[in-house]
Amino acid sequence: MTGNGAALLEGRNVTKRFGGLVAVNNVDFVVRQGEMVGLIGPNGSGKTTLFDCLSRVQPIDEGQVLFKGIDITGKKPHQVAHLGMARTFQVIRVYRKLTVLENLLVSRQWRGESLLGQLTRANVDLEERARELIEFVALGHLMDSPAGTLSGGQRRLLEIGMALMPDPDLLLLDEAASGVNPTLVETIKDRIRVLNQEHGKTFLLVEHDMRFISDLCTRVYVLNYGEQLAEGTPAEVMENEAVIEAYFGS
Amino acid sequence: MSTATLSPTRSTMPLWRIGLMALVVASLVAMPLLRDQVGWITNSRLFSFTQMFMLIALASNWNLTGGFTGYVDFGHAVFFGIGAYGTGVLMHNGWEFPPALVAGAVFAGIYAVIVGYPTLRLKGPYFSIAMLGTFVAVREIVRVWKGVTGGGVGLTLPPYLNRVAFYYYTLAFALAVVAIMWWIRRSEFGASLIAIREDEIGAEMRGINTTVQKMTAFTVAGVLSGVVGGMWAYQNTFIDPDIVFIESRTIELVMMTMLGGLGTVLGPVIGAATIYWMRDVVWASFLDYHLIVEGALLIIIVLFIPRGIVGIFGDRSSTSLSELWGRSLGKDQAEKT
Repeated sequence: MTGNGAALLEGRNVTKRFGGLVAVNNVDFVVRQGEMVGLIGPNGSGKTTLFDCLSRVQPIDEGQVLFKGIDITGKKPHQVAHLGMARTFQVIRVYRKLTVLENLLVSRQWRGESLLGQLTRANVDLEERARELIEFVALGHLMDSPAGTLSGGQRRLLEIGMALMPDPDLLLLDEAASGVNPTLVETIKDRIRVLNQEHGKTFLLVEHDMRFISDLCTRVYVLNYGEQLAEGTPAEVMENEAVIEAYFGS
Repeated sequence: MSTATLSPTRSTMPLWRIGLMALVVASLVAMPLLRDQVGWITNSRLFSFTQMFMLIALASNWNLTGGFTGYVDFGHAVFFGIGAYGTGVLMHNGWEFPPALVAGAVFAGIYAVIVGYPTLRLKGPYFSIAMLGTFVAVREIVRVWKGVTGGGVGLTLPPYLNRVAFYYYTLAFALAVVAIMWWIRRSEFGASLIAIREDEIGAEMRGINTTVQKMTAFTVAGVLSGVVGGMWAYQNTFIDPDIVFIESRTIELVMMTMLGGLGTVLGPVIGAATIYWMRDVVWASFLDYHLIVEGALLIIIVLFIPRGIVGIFGDRSSTSLSELWGRSLGKDQAEKT
């Protein structure tokens, strides 16, 4: 899908500093409903920091982030999640001692739950949906295995399943193919495609693997030293001299 | 369905375990009634059991914050102390026991909210040490606030000598606390606490309001331990800072929960009962060296059975202190992915 034009996520002059280091500098971007947008750049270019700013794990120093037209700049991560944004992490975050199924159940939608409701309902009410999603991310045979026993690639898939559990509108995937064997990379790509084309999910993907990005994304932003270096289709940015120089040197 | 034993998902408890627990509870209920028939059941023995029931309740409460949520509280005995002093001061001023007990528990709950809000932002050992600090601070306040607390001299409460009734009060309360913990553990609320314990940032990112969940668990644990403190004060008929605010009380709770199994419902029960009776034997056999023996026991637990007794029997929901601290400092995620 190429997006229907309505901005789902928008960053305006987003800036993040760590002491004297400007990790993200004055970055503008927009992700439209139904789009798959890539975010690339050399190591240390600020991609994950920008992700952290968007999902509110890190507060931003300047600028504004809008999600569904709502200013989320001052919101807490769980409030952003309630609005329909989900993410995965560069360093995989799964609940290692819980089984695959339990990981999905705990990742359910928590929006508007009263304490009384949480206490009177056992954590199995969404089991059917959890099982379906586990099958969808090709982990059905590992349903009852503790997440800590899964391989890196399987944990990446599990994390995607967990992100899907609350039925978000936007998924931010941070290096979803990193450290994953080629077969599983194809599975991940296939699942992302299905989610986008058949379920209308919007994606913002951080990735080093340019083939992964060019196979999936219609538009790409390039960061370098925290600044926006280029924007365009995958083919355009791969031919951009500034991008080539940032990756390979002059 | 999952084979997990005490996991957040629904678990089917084996029939033998239900039968064994029913037998234990029935025996405890029947014990005072058999006082005249069985020589072993003496007033002193009943008193020992009331102490054990209170420790079971305290260890279970500690486990709610420490084992379920992953916030290892080294100052949990402060709730016991506030409950004891709240109840004691009011009874000293003419209140009846039941309303004084409720008020003591409410004081402990209010304290939990006030202290929990800033301290629950700290992670791992930093939280543990901060709680120890607040414990010491409260003890000093009690010591110098002589007009209300009696200071170092302490307060005497009206005597209450019906040991059988107290036995049943404490038994009922311990059972209620264990039932509450079991309920919490299988609920969505309990699942959210485990998620926080396993990965707090991930839990927050997935929509769990971690601040509210942590505060709720911390306050519930505080209120319940406040009740234990109030019961203990009434039973003891005398309170002063040195016998109420003892640092080692929290250490005992940690030790008991670790021995039984951190983060499980039955762990604190098994651990508290085991250590209480073992200590009885140890004290009797090693009068001069009992602290050395207890210290050695703690080292053995940490080194050889970090997941406690329930962990030995394959309950994978139990965790260990090093796992909790490692996780809260981000080591677990970084090292094992």
